[in-house]
Amino acid sequence: MTGAVARIVVLLDAASENHAAIGTAARLAGRWAAHLHGVFVEDDDLIRLAHLPFARQVTLGAGVEALTLREAEHQLRVFAARAREELAAAAQRHGVAWSFEIVRDGSSDGLSAAPDDFLVACTATRPIGGHFRVECRWWWNAAASGPSARLLAHREGDPYGAVAALIHDRDAAAERLVAAALRLAEANDAALAVICPPALAQQVGFKTWLDQQLAGHPVAVDIELLRERAPLHRHIAELRCRLVAIHAEAEEASPDRLRELIATVACDVLVVR
Amino acid sequence: MADPTAQGGIPLPAALLRRRCSPEELPFQLSSELADAPAMIGQDRAAEAVTFALRMRHKGYNVFALGPAGAGRHSLVEDLLKQRAATESVSSDWCYVNNFADPQRPHRLDLPAGQGAGLAAAMKRLIEELRVALPAAFERDEYRARREVLDQQMKVRSEEGFGGLQQRADAKGIALIRTPMGLALAPKRDGKVMNPEDFEALPAEERQRFEHDLQEAQTELEAVMRQVPQWEREHREALRALARDTTGFAVASMMGELRGSYADLPDVIEYLDAVERDIKENVEDFLPQTPHPAESGGPPMNAAAQAAMEDMRFRRYQVNVIVDNGGKKGAPVIYEDNPTYQNLIGRVEHLARFGALITDFNLIQAGALHRANGGYLILDAERLLVGGYGWPALKRALQSGEVRIESIEQALSLATTVSLQPQPIPLDVKVVLVGSPMLYYLLAANDEDFAELFKIAADFDDRVARTGEATLLYARVIATIVRREHLRAFDRDAVGRVIERAARLAGDADRLSTSLRAIVELLQEADQLAADAGKETVGAAEVQAALDAQVRRADRIYRRMQEEITRRTIRIETDGEAVGQINGLSVISLGALSFGNPTRITAQVRMGRGEVVDIEREVQLGGPLHSKGVLILTGFLGGRFGTGRPLSLHASLVFEQSYGGVDGDSASAAELFALLSALSEVPIRQSFAVTGSVDQLGVIQAIGGVNEKIEGFFDVCRQAGLTGRQGCIIPASNVKHLMLRADVVEAVEQGKFRVIPMETIDQGFELLTGVPTKTTDDKIAARLDEFAARAAALLRAQTGASA
Repeated sequence: MTGAVARIVVLLDAASENHAAIGTAARLAGRWAAHLHGVFVEDDDLIRLAHLPFARQVTLGAGVEALTLREAEHQLRVFAARAREELAAAAQRHGVAWSFEIVRDGSSDGLSAAPDDFLVACTATRPIGGHFRVECRWWWNAAASGPSARLLAHREGDPYGAVAALIHDRDAAAERLVAAALRLAEANDAALAVICPPALAQQVGFKTWLDQQLAGHPVAVDIELLRERAPLHRHIAELRCRLVAIHAEAEEASPDRLRELIATVACDVLVVR
Repeated sequence: MADPTAQGGIPLPAALLRRRCSPEELPFQLSSELADAPAMIGQDRAAEAVTFALRMRHKGYNVFALGPAGAGRHSLVEDLLKQRAATESVSSDWCYVNNFADPQRPHRLDLPAGQGAGLAAAMKRLIEELRVALPAAFERDEYRARREVLDQQMKVRSEEGFGGLQQRADAKGIALIRTPMGLALAPKRDGKVMNPEDFEALPAEERQRFEHDLQEAQTELEAVMRQVPQWEREHREALRALARDTTGFAVASMMGELRGSYADLPDVIEYLDAVERDIKENVEDFLPQTPHPAESGGPPMNAAAQAAMEDMRFRRYQVNVIVDNGGKKGAPVIYEDNPTYQNLIGRVEHLARFGALITDFNLIQAGALHRANGGYLILDAERLLVGGYGWPALKRALQSGEVRIESIEQALSLATTVSLQPQPIPLDVKVVLVGSPMLYYLLAANDEDFAELFKIAADFDDRVARTGEATLLYARVIATIVRREHLRAFDRDAVGRVIERAARLAGDADRLSTSLRAIVELLQEADQLAADAGKETVGAAEVQAALDAQVRRADRIYRRMQEEITRRTIRIETDGEAVGQINGLSVISLGALSFGNPTRITAQVRMGRGEVVDIEREVQLGGPLHSKGVLILTGFLGGRFGTGRPLSLHASLVFEQSYGGVDGDSASAAELFALLSALSEVPIRQSFAVTGSVDQLGVIQAIGGVNEKIEGFFDVCRQAGLTGRQGCIIPASNVKHLMLRADVVEAVEQGKFRVIPMETIDQGFELLTGVPTKTTDDKIAARLDEFAARAAALLRAQTGASA
């Protein structure tokens, strides 16, 4: 994510908190003058379930009720239309061009994006009972696949918090990560917190390297040291971040660690490839 | 007092035509030497009544101050009330505060004077401090940690319920799916929900197992889902309790301090308790509420709208001080010059917010009754009765002993919209209505409540006896007004001239008018003339010039009528003699000016049936008093000439060239003189004008406006040329009322004009004709006998013809 972003793609579905993802995507599209593209994913699991003769759904409002194919498709159409309207309104507010499409199945093929695309996706469904969320089956596809940067708009964090970038080295991947985090910090008028192990921060030339990465970007920067045995989400909570950026190849981006991170932090997560 | 030397039938000496203020009565050179006087003189009766009413604290002892306009009713009442109020304690402050249990019915608070504003300021400070302190309290790690614990408990519960179910289902190959509306369970293979074909392809045993497991899981899911509302309720309650605890701790010390300041006021303490409870229940209002501009979904709110929203959130903690008696001394004395319904009992105003009209207790406005509560309220009775619904509202407040603020629509049960119903405020007020006697008598006669609510009438006199003491006191009143109005000092002659004017206003040489409005105007105008002339003090010349100017400004119609008399368009004879014709005198009042108007009265007689026809009445231009006068003179004729013979005459009387209404009996003597002249055929001297009423015995009685009448005829004679034979014949009982213009008095002194009193008809007729009464009576008797004989002959002829 070093070049210009031509398109912000936001993944939407009938069960997720689309509002936050659309808001984040539209704001970024406005700041970067990018095209806003909405992709509404029709859950093929839901369709398959609806085909089964004994398919039932349990809701808080109506208890147990039959889930027919017709009912499922009707609900998907309603939610798709609602998502489209919301996307259009957000695009209008931010003055960007927009488009919208509906795809079935959230496989990685269905979510393929161009190299210059910036992908925004929800990681969990709307909560049931205030807290319980079912993981989106395709968020991992979104996070793990494709050449572009993926922003997992998990939930609303501190709207005035910093953008954090987690680096472990001074390699090219770290440079791409810092560059992507910088762009998001600028886009949000936020400060940048670089989180790194103490050993890296103490390396000779680290400060110079970091200054080179920041050159030309009027962003306030803090260096935060990773503490041993302190989980990453605690750091992020203390920093009151609005977003944390990690590299797709980092240990923290492994499926289990990423799931754990997303489940514990109250901010967006940017996975940079 | 009339001069004892005045005798009927003899021209009055000039000294009796105008009672001057002698220098001996005014022992000073300039008004500035005189001490201040009470605002009014000669109003002892009214003052006593007001003072008595002020002492009476029982219900209904309100006052109606009745008297003529300009008699100083307002000044006297206000002075007396202020004197009394100064000895009484300051009234309470009254506030309205939110009723947290029912905001539609705001509560009243009664605080010692000056403490209302203090409470309002303290509440404002409290809220400002809480808006800082409470967010800080909710930002503290302690609160965050406790909240996290509660959230975690909820999360654990949820995870245990749903997560446990999900794990157990997963172990059996069943997926938990989030549908758009809820949750569903489905058999899965390779991480995906099975197709119907794949499911059908399963061995029957496995299908049955799936169906059994699905049924079990679904039952479990239902059970968990049923618990969700309870979990959420408990979680919310736990959060509220935490918020209450956190708030309570932050609020307690501040509220404690505030309670200490009002420990002796239970109502305030009760209010503060309610405030504390409300803050604890609604602490979220004190916490930052700005949504993320990009996430709010709508256009960003501008600063003004945001401030308005902020204002709305905390308005309920404000204190609306509707009556603030802080810094005041004594009980309030309030004069409400526009006593409409709302100005009396207060009102609830509205604000336009986002296209709607809203209101709350902060928009309650006090009325005059609130401001006067614990003291005195002065109202103009006529304005009260004319101003929409003010009178019923005042009566209701006095009867119920409380002020209830409601709109006119509510009071008349015309409104069905919900509005505020502020708690009524107990009323303890003494009301003084100031109005005309007519209004007082009308209310007393027609309003049943009036006598109950206004038990005291303070009756203001319009005149005071012109004694030496009163004259000097009047001079002090003039001096007081001169000082109050910042006028130049008046010298002794000027003061004397003003006092003479007061006597003329009273229409009585022995009385002084208590109507100070006209006097104040005269003083101001004389002062201006002195200023124009560059004088440092005001003299009699300026006073006279001011009076002349007043007349000149108002006398256009009078001058026009005089002019038409001179041009003989209106025929008034001032010389010569005529039978059955006499100059009568009437008074016309137009605006500020009253003037005398000479009128030619004529009489015609012929044989008839004993009727005296009042032509004015026949054409409905004569009023009842005039008709009465004509009937009285008919009675006189019958008494004197009809006892020994039938009055076989027909007489007619008319005001010549009179085209408007005529009323009053002041011309009855003149009409009788015209009639006597017509009957006796004795001519009347046209150089005289006559005024006076007569009774059936021929005694002349007093009339009103004698000065204006004399001056009116004098002006006509002067235009025609004063001959020395001209003059006015007036009732002797009116001599004491003479306060004639200086030019009239001067003409009399020079023998060019005469004013002659008369006591009886006979005396008057002799003056008018120079013929002794005996001669006249004989002529009339002979004429009547002739009429009677002709009538008898006619009757006989008619009787014989018919036989």
